[in-house]
Amino acid sequence: MKSMNSINSNHKINAFLIVAIISSNQVGVGVMGFQQQLYQNAKQDAWISVIISFVLAHLAVFIMIKTLEIYETNDIYEINQDIFGKLIGNLLNVLYITYCGSIFFLILKTYIEVINTWVFYNLSPWFLSATLLLLLIYAFTGNLKVIVGVSFFSFVITFIWLFSLIPPLEYAEVQYLLPVFQNNFSDILKGTYSMTFTIVGFEIINIIYPYIKDKKKVNRYAHIGLLGTLLIYFPILLVSLMYFSGEQLSKTIWATLTMLSIVRLPFIERIDIFMICFGVVIILPNLCLYAWAVYRGVNSMIKISLSAFIWSFSALMFILTLFVQTLTQLNDISRIFTHVGFFAVFVFPFFLYFLALIKRKFRKTQVIQ
Amino acid sequence: MMKKYKLIFIVFVFMTVLGGCAEQKILERLSLATLIGYDGGEGENITATAIIRQVNPEFESNVETLSATARTSKGTREQVSAQVSKKVTVGQLRVVLFGEELATAGIRQSIYTLLMNPEISNGIYLGVVEGEAKPFLEYQYENITDISQHIFNLLEHNIERENSISSTLHEIGRDYYSPTRQIVMPIIKRKENVIEITGVAFFRSEYMVGRLPAKDIFYVKMIRDGFEKGTFELVLDGENFESVSTGETPEELAIALDAIKTKKTIKLIDQNTPEYDLNFKISVRLTEIDASIHTGDKKTLEMLEKEINKKMESELSRIIQFTQEIDSDVFGFGEHYESRVSDSNLTHEELAEMYSNMKVNVQVKSEIIRDGVFGME
Amino acid sequence: MFGKQKQNIKNESEDYKGLEIDGIFPPLKKEFFTELKEITNSPADLIIKDVTETITVAYIENLVDGQVLNDQIISVLDKSEPSIPEALPNLLNIPIFKLAGQKKEIIYDLLTGNVLIHIEGYNLVGLANIAAAPTRSLAAPENESQVIGSQVGFNESLATNISLIRRLIRNPNLCNEEYSVGRQTNTPFSVLYIKAIAADENIDIVRERIANLKIEDLIDSAMLAELIEDNSYSVFPQMLLTERPDRFCDGLLNGKIGIIVEGSSMAILCPYSFVEFFHSREEQNLRWQLATFIRLLRFSAVFLSVFLTPMYVASLTFHYEIIPQPLLIPLSESRAIVPFPPIIEALILELIIELLREAGARLPTKVGQTIGIVGGIVIGTAAVQAGITSNILIIIVALCALASFTTPNYMMGNVIRLLRFPIIFLAGFWGYYGIMLAFCLLGIHLLRQSSLGAPYLSPLYPPRILDWGTAVIRLPIGLLKTRATSNGTFNRKVHNEKAKPQRDDVMKE
Repeated sequence: MKSMNSINSNHKINAFLIVAIISSNQVGVGVMGFQQQLYQNAKQDAWISVIISFVLAHLAVFIMIKTLEIYETNDIYEINQDIFGKLIGNLLNVLYITYCGSIFFLILKTYIEVINTWVFYNLSPWFLSATLLLLLIYAFTGNLKVIVGVSFFSFVITFIWLFSLIPPLEYAEVQYLLPVFQNNFSDILKGTYSMTFTIVGFEIINIIYPYIKDKKKVNRYAHIGLLGTLLIYFPILLVSLMYFSGEQLSKTIWATLTMLSIVRLPFIERIDIFMICFGVVIILPNLCLYAWAVYRGVNSMIKISLSAFIWSFSALMFILTLFVQTLTQLNDISRIFTHVGFFAVFVFPFFLYFLALIKRKFRKTQVIQ
Repeated sequence: MMKKYKLIFIVFVFMTVLGGCAEQKILERLSLATLIGYDGGEGENITATAIIRQVNPEFESNVETLSATARTSKGTREQVSAQVSKKVTVGQLRVVLFGEELATAGIRQSIYTLLMNPEISNGIYLGVVEGEAKPFLEYQYENITDISQHIFNLLEHNIERENSISSTLHEIGRDYYSPTRQIVMPIIKRKENVIEITGVAFFRSEYMVGRLPAKDIFYVKMIRDGFEKGTFELVLDGENFESVSTGETPEELAIALDAIKTKKTIKLIDQNTPEYDLNFKISVRLTEIDASIHTGDKKTLEMLEKEINKKMESELSRIIQFTQEIDSDVFGFGEHYESRVSDSNLTHEELAEMYSNMKVNVQVKSEIIRDGVFGME
Repeated sequence: MFGKQKQNIKNESEDYKGLEIDGIFPPLKKEFFTELKEITNSPADLIIKDVTETITVAYIENLVDGQVLNDQIISVLDKSEPSIPEALPNLLNIPIFKLAGQKKEIIYDLLTGNVLIHIEGYNLVGLANIAAAPTRSLAAPENESQVIGSQVGFNESLATNISLIRRLIRNPNLCNEEYSVGRQTNTPFSVLYIKAIAADENIDIVRERIANLKIEDLIDSAMLAELIEDNSYSVFPQMLLTERPDRFCDGLLNGKIGIIVEGSSMAILCPYSFVEFFHSREEQNLRWQLATFIRLLRFSAVFLSVFLTPMYVASLTFHYEIIPQPLLIPLSESRAIVPFPPIIEALILELIIELLREAGARLPTKVGQTIGIVGGIVIGTAAVQAGITSNILIIIVALCALASFTTPNYMMGNVIRLLRFPIIFLAGFWGYYGIMLAFCLLGIHLLRQSSLGAPYLSPLYPPRILDWGTAVIRLPIGLLKTRATSNGTFNRKVHNEKAKPQRDDVMKE
């Protein structure tokens, strides 16, 4: 099937930038406090959960790329339309758009929540969301090249933050990691499940794929990107497991930030406050890429210009942020989206691949006949 | 294109006007609480005594001590706020002290409040004041202008030099929420015009249950965290050295040692009792010894090492025994047990109770690597 | 996006040098010169002189070399009396000589220092170029001084400047395309590039943009740069203006395209990336370790210069928690007597520094230096004593100003200083969050820019690690095997080899 939106070769991006795209889209607000839920489920074996979830992610990415390779120039929306037909395909696309939009919303709202609890207690949330959305619009109207650029810089700078894990190591107790494998495997899997909201983001490959120049290398770089994310999450988790005692960690909402508050540099203290404000750089690629995912989805059904889309999308998100006010509401929504996200990222791709294979077989036999 | 830029600009200006600024906390327009002391009050009330630093154009900067009594610490903050000209903030809090009475009555609520507040860093120091915190803080010390800074520096440099137990809020929280490890905090006290660390307080859960004098801090620290660069003093029995002495040996031979390298190993040898082997391998530098003893002699050194081992072993055992008596597992043996014995079906409570019956064999192996530059033959 | 509009080529009739005169002159002498006078509005310095009865010369007095005119033209014509214009080229010993019939060509040449030779009965006239343009002698480049390296700068003459370049690059591939723009000024300028190194795409873009220029006047190259750059609404310059021939040639040799404008001592280089604006030509002449150190120092200075004052404002206004204890007392005590919030304090001081800089730049050199020192010391001390600013802020602001002056490019240096003001505002309103907003806005803005269509942030993004050897640090010349890709050049190979040691006396012993 030929892609409806053929892509200008000027807009294509180098394959190795996939590393930055995937990694920066995975690392989001989750990095500030993913440890709590994880620990509550898997206890000191949480790191095993993380490894399992990354293994699953590698599998999912592998399958996603396999599916995309069947079609070569199409993104997931067009594949859906091809496999399920116009009507059901579009219905699925609407669901997928809703999923991406909701993730976008959750990221935005969670970050605003962090700023409001840690730094500015009474800075109005709508102001924060408006500024973040304006940043998004400015990046977005620069087209995909700018979005990928934002991801790239975010990816690089996030790695620099890992150095701030060194001072907390002074208080680390290795024995908190022991005994290994003491918890039920089902608990560990539960931990893996609770990682969903933290680890999602690599499904952006479904949308970015048609824009990549050298499609043969996509597989390799996508997996390197996942490894990059693991290199960010794993040290953070390991240090926090050793730094906090059990119950303390399960009570600490933003463990990474709490851990950083102990860091003292000669001219600056309380790195946590700095880190929170720095979060803008961390979440900006998430916002851009998910907005891009929504844009491609909408574009597969209705033709809409880039700027018209982003302004109306931002307006919608802005209004939505006004409705969700309290932390409990936010927690409820994110709990729901753990399930939705798990389905969309870990279950649906396998299903789709299976159908795409059948469809291809079917088509081949048709041609022969 | 131009229109869009203009639009963004207009929206921005609009937001600035409408959204206003965030609440300002301009440094010199704040009263910075840098140290807070808590005492138990009547009933469930607590009395907070805060050292507050303010800057005024006339006085440049001054330090005030204010106190208030209320049910919650936020309540005390409001009351203190009513006594000063500028808003009270705790973002620069460095030290929190508990009166002995409050510490005995329980500090759960205080720890919880401190951990909950995002303004407060996890790196602040906690300590216990011998007696009440309020008079301790309100006393006019002759040579100390800013008592909070003084106490902070006192604690910080002693912790860094490994002369005191490290008691950051993080560690206190960590040990408090760990069911199998207990809190320790340094005890400080006013002695005339000087503030000194006089001992170490042991807690069981949230209650202070016992204390040891300052000279034992070293051993507590040694068992708890090991040590790397501490200097310590030992008093050995002089009689044993008569054979190697060239002059008159004093009855008690005091030596000073500088640790170069230490290695602490802890091994569970019996799960049922349970029984532990606690081994220390330390390399030290001899910095001070009685002039009558020649350290150039190999035999002397060996004898010294043996005596050092014996002395340290007995001291360490004494301290472990003490903590067992008060049932305060500050060394985390329970934690260790829990982490090694994976199939123990013991609950946390049972583990905690186990401590008093634990058997710990202490063994010290010391080696004098270097001594001074004078006195060798 | 602005580029797009310019790239639409409009096929209008080609104006000869922008003059709007058509047709040819009448052949008869009297009518010819009447019309010439009419078109040129008979200026006082237009001399029309009969050499013989049939031969007349016309020139503008102030533009031609009188000596050459008398010796090489008038005396020769007087002697040999040619009767047809076609005989003129062989007769006259003038290097630049041509015959022309078109009105606009004749008028244009007359206005650029040609002598018009008219022979009765012909409308074809001879044009002998004996222009004597007043030029400044070559001087050291004042705005881009360097310690080690050549000390010659461009001057205002196009011919001199091109000769300076040809003296550094003796290569037949050095191409020179001449254009002129400006309806009123008819300013000639040259586009220079090295064929087979510069990318054809880039050359085409430059040609197109020049072809689409419709302007009234062009006085300086800075104006031209603004007109042909990708986004003239951005605060960042996208083309380099330099007065150093060595830097210019360095650019050409790396595949950039240069433009030199008559009457301007600044040459344009494009495409130019953001990072390259912070390079100094001198780094090529220093030891590579030192050059790398200086370059990295400069990059950090830029960062410091933009963000240090805002960080001070943000920390003192919103985030007092982050101030370490040893700094707390000095900071709060120095702030104690200041009646303004930090943002006002910082703005006042930054403005004072800007005023001092501007005053220093406008005044004659000698007075300028004095103003800088006196103003700095007197105002600084007085401001602290009067309690308008704090001591520590003075140090910070001075440090920022100093850091911004390390930028080797004057234009970029100014941009760096200007950027600070909006960021101070954001920091004063929303603390570190505001600074981060500014940081992101700046980043996105830079990502959106391009120079001749090449990404402005390259080689940082798109990441081209190979280029970092020349762009971020400076590798020793022997290690440089490729040209920077950011210039779009396809000819990347560089054959740099170190001279092999010839003598090994020491080893023989």
